[in-house]
Amino acid sequence: MYYYIFDPKKCKKKTQVEAIKDQLAHIGISGEFTYVTGVQSASELAEIGLRKKYSTIVAVGSDDIINQVADKMVGKPEAMGIIPLEASAEIENVIGVRNPRDAIDVLRFRRIKEINLGMTGNRRHFITSAELELKKSTEITIEFKGYLVQAKVSKMTISNIEPNVKKPKPEYLDVTIQSDIQHENGILEKISGLFTLNKILEKNISTFRARSMRIFTNKSVFITSGGSVISKTPQYIESTDEKLRLIVGKHIED
Amino acid sequence: MEAQQADTIIGVDVSVKGNLKNKGSIQINGNVEGEIKSDENVTIGSSASVKGPVMAKNILVSGKVDGVVEATEKVELDPTGAVSGDIKTKTLIIREGAIFNGNSIMAGAKETPGKTEKDELKDEVIAESTPKAGFWDKNKK
Repeated sequence: MYYYIFDPKKCKKKTQVEAIKDQLAHIGISGEFTYVTGVQSASELAEIGLRKKYSTIVAVGSDDIINQVADKMVGKPEAMGIIPLEASAEIENVIGVRNPRDAIDVLRFRRIKEINLGMTGNRRHFITSAELELKKSTEITIEFKGYLVQAKVSKMTISNIEPNVKKPKPEYLDVTIQSDIQHENGILEKISGLFTLNKILEKNISTFRARSMRIFTNKSVFITSGGSVISKTPQYIESTDEKLRLIVGKHIED
Repeated sequence: MEAQQADTIIGVDVSVKGNLKNKGSIQINGNVEGEIKSDENVTIGSSASVKGPVMAKNILVSGKVDGVVEATEKVELDPTGAVSGDIKTKTLIIREGAIFNGNSIMAGAKETPGKTEKDELKDEVIAESTPKAGFWDKNKK
């Protein structure tokens, strides 16, 4: 009942694919194996897997194809599994594994956690986080429910799941922005500032918790997740009402 | 009131316009124009400037507030803090150097109702009929 979507670019060698297949067969969770190509994307393959009535669709690769598969799986009764290959540490933390071998073990036990996803206005989902691709400080306006935030920002991240952060409600997104200090300091202040750099950086970081937001920039900038572009500003981002049934490790909290 | 524990943190040189309502704690180091409301603590940092009412369980002011400050438990004004507006709270701590222009209303304290003309007349009568200080001592002798 398992349908596997491999990203061949993330498999170091052909033998790695074969090793994963062997291990899956060994523990009795073998299934249909498909591969992302120039012709068929991970999201198209996920649609095919769902049409074929597989109960579990597994993304084997990095954040990019994991998010593409999640796009099609959110709100569906079928479960999604992940075997991370060159995936971000955040993805590994979400499912509670450090390597493909552990991930295969996690698939065998099939412990399902229902999670909310982050979603852009163009319906691109992200499991962990999305960020603005800012090459230099950029004037940014974020519209939350009831208030507007304006700042010159050098970094902005929208986090859906952070393993070490316990949110009051899972459907909140955590927005972190790093803004620039705009005061013109004298030499003495600059020297003393070196010693208090950590404190300044701390004061320069803003965090907001919200279900949805609109992001505006003077010039359009890309929004990326796991290193791939998923959208661009101006953009609406929200936490999904629908949930993804994700297979996670035993020690991951509900 | 640890800044690190705040759900919402507004950094230096970040401007917020509108009503910032939060169940968790809020730390302000930037500029806010509008209402700030939290079920927990609000910390107005030394670099912060707030124009609007602030409502929370506990409020620590180290920066500038232009508006009513209302806490269900405690309001603290640090030496760098400046409030232009009324403060309503159960416990008020104003440290040396802090600036406070406004009225303080201690929530939970029994308020004295305004006196009517009749009450004032009654007071005068009582004052006249009350023996002056030392009366009882003299009479004891």
